[in-house]
Amino acid sequence: MLSDSEAAELLSFLTPDTRPDVKGQATEYILGLSGNRDGCRFLRTKPDLLAALFALTSDPSIAIVKDCYYIFVNLSADETLHQVLVADVKILPVFLKNLEDPEYPFSDQICTILSNLSRHNKTCKTVFKVLQEGVGLAQLVEIFCTEDFNKKAKLHYLGPLLSNLTQLPEARNYIMDKDRCVIQRLLPFTQFQASVVRRGGVIGTLRNCCFDHTHHEWLLSDAVDILPFLLLPLAGPEELTEEENDGLPVDLQYLPEDKKREEDPDIRKMLLETLFLMTATKAGRQTLKDKNIYYILREFHKGEKDVHVSAACEKLVQVLIGDEPEQGMENLMEVEIPEDVEQKLKDADLKEQEELQKEEERMRQEEEEEKKKNSEAEGTDKKQEDGLIR
Amino acid sequence: MASTEGQYESDDGMDEFMDKFKTQRYKNAFTENNWEEEFDKVPMFMKKAPEEIDPQKYPELACLQAIIHDEDRTPEEIAKSLKDEGNAFFKEKSYEKAILCYTAGLKKKCGDQEVDTVLLTNRAAAHFHLGNMRSALNDAAAARKINPDHLKALIRGVQCCTALRLFEEAIQWCDEGLKAHPTDKKLLELRAAADKQKRAKERDARKAKAKEKKLHGEKEALLAAIKARGIKLLQPVKPAQGGSDSEEDEAEGSSAAISELSLDGLSCKEVTGAQVFQDERGSLQWPVLFLYPEHQQTDFISAFCENSCFIDHLAVMFGEELPPWDTDRKYHPQNLQLYFEDEHKETFYHVNPETPLLKVLQHKRFFVKAGTPSFIVLVKGFSFWEQFLTGRKVRGL
Repeated sequence: MLSDSEAAELLSFLTPDTRPDVKGQATEYILGLSGNRDGCRFLRTKPDLLAALFALTSDPSIAIVKDCYYIFVNLSADETLHQVLVADVKILPVFLKNLEDPEYPFSDQICTILSNLSRHNKTCKTVFKVLQEGVGLAQLVEIFCTEDFNKKAKLHYLGPLLSNLTQLPEARNYIMDKDRCVIQRLLPFTQFQASVVRRGGVIGTLRNCCFDHTHHEWLLSDAVDILPFLLLPLAGPEELTEEENDGLPVDLQYLPEDKKREEDPDIRKMLLETLFLMTATKAGRQTLKDKNIYYILREFHKGEKDVHVSAACEKLVQVLIGDEPEQGMENLMEVEIPEDVEQKLKDADLKEQEELQKEEERMRQEEEEEKKKNSEAEGTDKKQEDGLIR
Repeated sequence: MASTEGQYESDDGMDEFMDKFKTQRYKNAFTENNWEEEFDKVPMFMKKAPEEIDPQKYPELACLQAIIHDEDRTPEEIAKSLKDEGNAFFKEKSYEKAILCYTAGLKKKCGDQEVDTVLLTNRAAAHFHLGNMRSALNDAAAARKINPDHLKALIRGVQCCTALRLFEEAIQWCDEGLKAHPTDKKLLELRAAADKQKRAKERDARKAKAKEKKLHGEKEALLAAIKARGIKLLQPVKPAQGGSDSEEDEAEGSSAAISELSLDGLSCKEVTGAQVFQDERGSLQWPVLFLYPEHQQTDFISAFCENSCFIDHLAVMFGEELPPWDTDRKYHPQNLQLYFEDEHKETFYHVNPETPLLKVLQHKRFFVKAGTPSFIVLVKGFSFWEQFLTGRKVRGL
């Protein structure tokens, strides 16, 4: 790594009035540094370098600004850098302000940086605090939901940002504000085909929100009607009778024959987990049962190849077709589990995970053997052929 | 003036005054004869303004005219008065009159945005109550253009879009409105309602499409069954363009023509309400016409199974009782002769009644016209039969 004097020299190249080509070489060099862990850790010890780079995000040369943003993207990916970035360099207020500008060319990079910074609870809280002091979560959702808000940036990474923010109860309460229309605007994005990042971010947000079972009744009511949006990505082009169709939520009726299911298995799993969360209260269970979503899940399960997703589906179906729990235990999230039982359950979970992984391994091995067999078979045939020719 | 019990204490003698009307007719009431004349004197109800207003004779009118049309009054003041007048009409549900006032107010182009916004919004409301949704929407949109945050205009716009079933637009209006008024309960309510209706509309479209597809599938299957049996359908004859047979009537041998014939060839539904269908055992059941040219009568069988023979039906139709039009009492089943006509070759083909329908339909010269096979029934040996067949070519199957 650089010595102190070398670092000081580098710093001198980063002043605004340095020759552009020298500035450019310096930023390029630092970009290289930021690409690996040691470089990042080194940079962490040099907040003045970081401050200089931050100042250069306003540089007239687009190439230099670009380098600086990419440096910050790399740095933000390393959790140990979060404090210095947020507390010492104070990148948040300016970056958040830039997001509001529909012409800002580096908004996508900003979104990625914010998404990285909000991953872990401590910095997430700071991000939210600064957000609320400036742009505000309301505006952020507005920007996210406005098609083509920024012609130069897609802003898909606002999805994961929102998802991360909702690990905080303050953010969740804001999104689920009954007196406003916030969560309702996010719902259509569960089917957003053009970006798995945006789609996954929204679904992650919804899942986090569903941890608060006090909001379930409202979420399932007409005011929000979250259920169809969770089920649509899981539903396929099944041919159901008129009777079966009429029993489903409106959005799931008479789906066309080219309806495709969600392709990303992680997202499928998140959807099932969210639905499972909705079964925590008695009212929620009843609603899910009443809306006949069992048909959708049954067809879904038939075609599901991923073992983890399949397991999540089975868990959900169990609750839907199982008996109601005894009195006093209706809210599954509030039931007090004695310690020894809890330990047993944890062990059982662990074992289930292991089994699932073994099964995954087994399936993979089977596939490989199949492949080998096929290529071996080819080889044998060839030998026979040769024999014949001779 | 409404007066609820006790609202006006007797201080000002109002109660007594009102009570009088219960017992006395008021003086100077209008009579049948003079009411029109009297009305004409009231400025509000004048059909046209008097040329010269004599302040002695019509003091109120002179006053009003001075107020409304005084050159010294600014356009804003005039527009405001018109707005108030319009509002008065609105209150008593005279929406057309209200619209006239608001329109007059807008024409002043007074330049006061607030006044114009209100005039447009109120006019939108008047149109809304008259059911003129398009006009109402246009006015709401115009108001919104001047003042994008005007809540009443926004709400009215949403209501119009919803009434016109333009749910997407309704939601857009809501979202725009919520930017300025994020917690407005009415907007939130309207948005949820519009969204619900939008999704129901989408479901209805999907349902209709699915039904259409199913019907189409059934039709295709039916056509395939007909084609597989080698039965030929004739397209309904288009209005003749001259004497020669048009290409379209020539259906034999051309498989392209057969597939073209498709659904038109089957539809005689308008006439008889029946259509060929395939039963649970896969047999085709045809609507069949029997024609009795001697008596200008017809019989219609709505479902003649292709495997049944003609005699089966004839025995039922003529076996027990002869029809009333058979004045000669000669149409006994065993005497009946069946023919079908090959129009193109002007030939009649004699059909043995013991033949199953399918066999006849498959005859190379049989063309099903308008989806209904038809057969001519004659009684053998009688003069009509002779006359009918004279000069025509007759063949056996």
